[in-house]
Amino acid sequence: MERYEPSLPQEINQGSQQAARPHRSWKLGQRAAQGTLVLLLCAGGFLSLFPLGRAFTRSALLLPALLTASEPPPLAAAGDAIRFTRLTLFPNTSRTVDLDIYEPATPPPPIPGGREVIIDVPGAGDQRSLGQLVNLSQSLAREGIIDVNVGTPELFDYRVSAQEGQAVVQAFELMERWPGVNPRHIGIITFSVGSLLAYDAAADPRIRDKVAFVGTLGGYADVTTLLRTMGTRSQDINGQTQRWEPIATTPYVLYRSVGYLFSPADQKLLQKAFPFSIGFPPPLPAAQVARLSPAGAAYYHLLEGDQAGNVNRNLAALSPSLKALFAQLSPLSVISQIRAPIHLLHERSDPAVPYSQDVEMAAALARLHHPYDLAAYTIFEHVVVNLKSSLNQTLSDGSKLLGVLTSIMLVGS
Amino acid sequence: MLILSLLWVVLGLLIGALANAAKLRPAAWGRSGWLRMLCLGALVALLGGWLGTWVLGALFATATALWIAVLGVALLPRLIMWGIRFLHARQATRQLKKP
Repeated sequence: MERYEPSLPQEINQGSQQAARPHRSWKLGQRAAQGTLVLLLCAGGFLSLFPLGRAFTRSALLLPALLTASEPPPLAAAGDAIRFTRLTLFPNTSRTVDLDIYEPATPPPPIPGGREVIIDVPGAGDQRSLGQLVNLSQSLAREGIIDVNVGTPELFDYRVSAQEGQAVVQAFELMERWPGVNPRHIGIITFSVGSLLAYDAAADPRIRDKVAFVGTLGGYADVTTLLRTMGTRSQDINGQTQRWEPIATTPYVLYRSVGYLFSPADQKLLQKAFPFSIGFPPPLPAAQVARLSPAGAAYYHLLEGDQAGNVNRNLAALSPSLKALFAQLSPLSVISQIRAPIHLLHERSDPAVPYSQDVEMAAALARLHHPYDLAAYTIFEHVVVNLKSSLNQTLSDGSKLLGVLTSIMLVGS
Repeated sequence: MLILSLLWVVLGLLIGALANAAKLRPAAWGRSGWLRMLCLGALVALLGGWLGTWVLGALFATATALWIAVLGVALLPRLIMWGIRFLHARQATRQLKKP
């Protein structure tokens, strides 16, 4: 047998304590080095050979990118070069879909083969150049994942409609045929009111069996309960009523998405009451409120939140067509047709979409025995990361986020 | 890739040093054996990194370099010594068979 102890003192005087001490420390050092090597072997093997390990590697590199809203040096050094493509499907039609595609510039490696695609539906407004969204898309592309940001003219114009889900279906079908993509590894993530598009697409019979996952951040579940929360300025979470104050964008989107059902006179007044602004404008004068139709006045009071005691009466006063539209605009109406697991992420004190919306969604998913997970965060401000979060918050929420990211990354790892 | 390659070489040197501390180098390598072990670690880590890049992508190449380097410093010295002994034995047998 070969000897593997060249560095050891070859002879040790058994009787000498002075000699025994260095021998013991030598042995200890040797064992520590051997243990470290075994640890490195296991860690390296796990992180590169096992899908869960590769997913963890990806999420561990992505997490700092998300939390700092910048590209961390390890990702920049080890990540792929990025290719950006802006596509418009069906230009100049009512079905126009804008796609921003961030993809690795290199061909996919032999293992695991085809790339994962994340179809990303930002919320209302044109968010395509938002720093944190671009950073997320670029970081995903550096990790070998194709990220597609989907936008439609209506969404850019702060309006949501059930038909917009078709845009996500179109993007999904395009990516199924995209070079280097594994068509079974396509998932959808969505932010804020973009959740309607994601849920509608994930429920679409053409793709529902192929969607790998759905992830929502700051999404909503039901327009009627959202209006109830707006009207009472309070949300009910697990039987506890909590005060909730919305930002001005929430009534703006809620009005714009259904405004066409009101008379022109109502539209004019409601537009004035809920403009696109940072803060709430002063309430309409009583004389102008009196000029609104009964349905218009009821909707005004729900959005304004000035008749907390009359919310049920105001909801009942809305027109049947408006109530039918609310059902169409509510993701709850389609979740029974979704097959993919759903990850619900929500800021605990979200002022744009109340947290109670995702609690309601989670309860509905639980009733359907649908695979889902729900996590409340404090590091987000609605759908963007609050870069001023404390270390404690970042560590606590970061570990939760790491779990969700690993689950999402596992699909294509 | 240059930065990554340098990283893998440094990683390999560290693993070679750990292998020295773990007494994985054969006694037959003599006084300069520790240096050979460092070089072996660096070389195997570099090869592992490039193999990882090719098979799994650059993102997982460092992890691949890590476990391949550990396996390399643990097994290659034994394989090398076994190969040398085998060659010596064959040579000796041939010499004995010569008339």
